[in-house]
Amino acid sequence: MAEFKAGDMVLDVDEDGFIQEPDKWNEKVAAALASGEGVDSLTENHWKVVNYLRDYYLKFGVAPMIRKLCKDTGFKLNEIYELFPSGPAKGACKVAGLPKPTGCV
Amino acid sequence: MNKNLSVKDIGRGDGPISTVDLHDQIPLPPPFDRLEEEPFIKPLPDATRQKFACLDDTVAIGIPRPASKEEEEKLVNQFLSGMRKLFTPENNWTFLQPTLMSMEHCARCHTCSDACHVFEESGGNPLYRPAYRSEVFRRIYHKYVKEGSTFARGDIDLNWTTVARLIELAYRCNLCRRCAQTCPIGADNALLAREIRKVASQEMGISSKECHDNGSMLQLKVGSSTGMNALVVKDNIEFVDEDTTDKTGIKVETPWDKEGADILLIHNAGEIMAWPENPGAFALLFNAAGLSWTLSSDLAAYDAINYGTWYDDVQFARVAILHAKAAAKLKVKKIVIGECGHAHKALTVIADKVLTGDLNIPRESALTVLHEIVKSGRITFDKSRNDFPVTLHDPCNMVRLMGIVRPQREIIKAIVPEERFHPMTPEGIHNYCCGGGSGFAIMSGHNFADWRHHLTGRKKFRQILEAFQGEPMDKEHPKYVCAPCSNCKGQIRDIIKYYNAWEKAGIYYGGLVELMVNAMTDAKPNFIDWEWR
Repeated sequence: MAEFKAGDMVLDVDEDGFIQEPDKWNEKVAAALASGEGVDSLTENHWKVVNYLRDYYLKFGVAPMIRKLCKDTGFKLNEIYELFPSGPAKGACKVAGLPKPTGCV
Repeated sequence: MNKNLSVKDIGRGDGPISTVDLHDQIPLPPPFDRLEEEPFIKPLPDATRQKFACLDDTVAIGIPRPASKEEEEKLVNQFLSGMRKLFTPENNWTFLQPTLMSMEHCARCHTCSDACHVFEESGGNPLYRPAYRSEVFRRIYHKYVKEGSTFARGDIDLNWTTVARLIELAYRCNLCRRCAQTCPIGADNALLAREIRKVASQEMGISSKECHDNGSMLQLKVGSSTGMNALVVKDNIEFVDEDTTDKTGIKVETPWDKEGADILLIHNAGEIMAWPENPGAFALLFNAAGLSWTLSSDLAAYDAINYGTWYDDVQFARVAILHAKAAAKLKVKKIVIGECGHAHKALTVIADKVLTGDLNIPRESALTVLHEIVKSGRITFDKSRNDFPVTLHDPCNMVRLMGIVRPQREIIKAIVPEERFHPMTPEGIHNYCCGGGSGFAIMSGHNFADWRHHLTGRKKFRQILEAFQGEPMDKEHPKYVCAPCSNCKGQIRDIIKYYNAWEKAGIYYGGLVELMVNAMTDAKPNFIDWEWR
């Protein structure tokens, strides 16, 4: 298991950089994860996506459908890609501290 | 590459026994024909090479090197005892006969190599010959397993390195069975790769994390490998219904748990999460055609995937039984499997070995059901709405394995202008795998995704580019790769992204039902979004 440093915290991550303990996530961790995904600073729009993903995950135990994410946050898919260059699953979900998506997605 | 790789090399040394060189690969068709501009496989960090069994440029499973001699011996013995079980009827109730036939009958003619896309795209690397892996397995069989055998096939050193690399090598094959199709005596080298995976999983607890822990185990626990439980999937389908209604102007409602319906439709649940227009289009078409159908919210019954198909008979049987039980509970006449190739193999073909008595419910492909809908004339289509170049990918499990060739072509004829359809070469039962078969589309640990794009997926990408040659290769002229299988769709998406082929050449992808609804006269036009995802 690889390790990931966010400030003074050390977190376990999988080979693709997803954190393994979603409970340890906080805003500093998000910022550190974001810099690895080509996002230098998290703007209000980034936080809107991250908080939505986070809330959904805590409620349902799984990431939301991408189309639902777009509809509920009001961002088009290409805008999500502009915010998170590696995309909604590998970028935004990772920054929000969700585990790597599973199944044929 | 090591051109002179010998079978015995599998048990020798610590490092990779062969690697891939970009310059051994054949350039792709334009506009991707410059090898030097291609991204290449990122090298594995030294720490990874030292930690796991090392075969080639990548790591699929990651088998940790044993800490002691005792541990090494234990792993070898587990593998051998598992291998012995493979040849007993009570332990190999699924594939004993074809396994035995394939072990005994290989003339080493290497006809299969020329049929294999991995071997071809590697530039002819001997490690990826379908028979290389099988030859190692056969030698172990003749030396240690089969009683009264001779060493006529040649010797092999059986040590931990041999076993670990052999298991890794079983995950360098898409299990597409093009090699089996071409073998003059019917040896099935893909089956042997699958049986090696089975011994590793059932006897040694070694499998791919994506297929096992986060795959079949998750499906058995919460109901779907996507992690959706019944509550979430119902909520998501409600969203899909609303979305499809908005887009098409036709009210769509998906029935759940309707007892006495004719059809239980089971989708690959990945469609619901990643390509919701697919289940949306199915609901629209089935309703418009007046079919009596339902989804089931029982455990695992709303996810057609059965990853055990790729690596483990026990996991396979557990899931297949849940699928059949849900159908029996709803008293449906048949199960219809959505656009998912390996679910076709699992539930229509292999499940015959598991489902007996009341559980032996008729199972059918969605492709033939959709063809019946088109033939019935109950839905009218306007071909001119699909006025863009279309090519068709044949998912191995539906087409080569099951022989479903014509239905999807007849459908295409009814919904795409004839001059707009560009078949792939070769096609039908002689198709090539998308490169994502056998679990690869969902496996991406370490640098495995890179390896997959360069070795297993490159042939399909080549075929797609060849099919569209003559068309303007830019984003202003969008082209559609129709792939009626979730796994193939995921792989084709990944390879298009890897080569930036949407931006650079306007190559897009999707399923078959989306293309049907896009041409449906009663629906609002432009069902297909042409929005990258």
